[in-house]
Amino acid sequence: MKKTCTTRSPTSSIAAACAVAIIWAVAPPSGTARAEDSPRVVVQNVTDAVLAVLGDKTLTSDQKRGRIEDIVYANVDFATLSRLVLARNWSRFSDAQREDFTNEFKRHLSVTYGKNVENYRNERVAILGDREEARGDWTVQTKILRGGPDDILVDYRLRRADNRWTIIDFIVEGVSLVSNFRAQFQEIIASGGVDKLLQLLREKNATGEPLKS
Amino acid sequence: MRRVASARTEPMTLFVLVSLLAVVLTAPLPARAAANDQYDHDPIEPANRKLFWFNDKLDTHVLVPVATAWDTITPKALQTSFSDFFINLQTPLVAINNLLQGKPAESASDVGRFVINTGLGFLGFLDPASRMGLKRHEEDFGQTLGRWGVPPGPYIVVPFLGPSDPRDLTGIFFDYPLAIAGLFVSSYVLLGPRLVDIINTRSLFLDEVRKAKEGSLDYYVFVRNAYMQHRKALIEDTTEVPHENEEDLYYQESD
Repeated sequence: MKKTCTTRSPTSSIAAACAVAIIWAVAPPSGTARAEDSPRVVVQNVTDAVLAVLGDKTLTSDQKRGRIEDIVYANVDFATLSRLVLARNWSRFSDAQREDFTNEFKRHLSVTYGKNVENYRNERVAILGDREEARGDWTVQTKILRGGPDDILVDYRLRRADNRWTIIDFIVEGVSLVSNFRAQFQEIIASGGVDKLLQLLREKNATGEPLKS
Repeated sequence: MRRVASARTEPMTLFVLVSLLAVVLTAPLPARAAANDQYDHDPIEPANRKLFWFNDKLDTHVLVPVATAWDTITPKALQTSFSDFFINLQTPLVAINNLLQGKPAESASDVGRFVINTGLGFLGFLDPASRMGLKRHEEDFGQTLGRWGVPPGPYIVVPFLGPSDPRDLTGIFFDYPLAIAGLFVSSYVLLGPRLVDIINTRSLFLDEVRKAKEGSLDYYVFVRNAYMQHRKALIEDTTEVPHENEEDLYYQESD
């Protein structure tokens, strides 16, 4: 019998996959940061703002999604994220394809995250620490507290550009979103080319609930 | 107890075989391997994809319907209790592996957890140790081997078990005979509880797996990459991106 998602055995196949999925259910990052906020403050603001929206019982699910999306869009650098995810394949994209990709990828994340506002179960977020990386990026370590032993570690990687810090990667229980999407996109591009990837993204987004882009 | 002897010898034979397999399959990576080549080293991908497909069908058509029914009739608190119980049974194994990894403090804490949860936690159906600040650790022999410097080797999908690699598969054959229940009870008797464990565990992750499928464009690669990254993090006991991957992951585009 296939054993999925157990947290204790080496056969625990996709524990990490689960961890990635769980964060969608809990805390899409965000918050409107002022220009000079430190990375830690940015992440603090983002998580506070998202938790406030999620815990607001006067809002409908659609309103929650919209507000969280605003917070995410204001604090995640999708242009950098897209370039990092495509890595060496970036050069194979024309300008139009690049723009197309960035929009579709952004929408993909939005649709995926957005579906989960209804799964909020009063989780809290604790900031555990932060550190400077070798070449100036900053990592802020957080933990999603779920009221049991199954807390989830989420690290945010931030980069400074135009005098402010924006998020360029999420590392959930050691699984980097950039690395994970890069692996997927690499295989799709290798087998079907750039157009195949764009087509798959569009199809995936069409079956989800497209929000504003 | 005849059981003890057979439980020991059979996995040992398998262990030797798997170790050999591990050596054969662990082809060295190119010197300048990029981060993702490391996590997505998959020389037998076509076969893996077929096995992954098989496991997924089994999961979708057998395990998920049963787990969904279980999820419907079982109160959440009871699901958690079952989960706590089976996790508690593994705790001695976790303690041993922590010791083998040179972490005596963690190992002692695991022993404490086991004593507290078994005694005060109604044989482990409750988890008072967590509330007392003794954290739950996730360790196994695959991780111990990793700690000792054994590389994972190429990705392999194992029928019925799921994602693995030669190192982690080897680990299973070490952990299995050491698991506490197996030392005292015949495997036929264990079949029932084992099924409950599998179904109950799966029932706790119904939404998460569904979302993972929805959120990925190539679910096979999603699982492969996530498995390998997550195992690396478990071995290192840190979510920090390894330095050798950092360059490739975050700066390569500016080169």
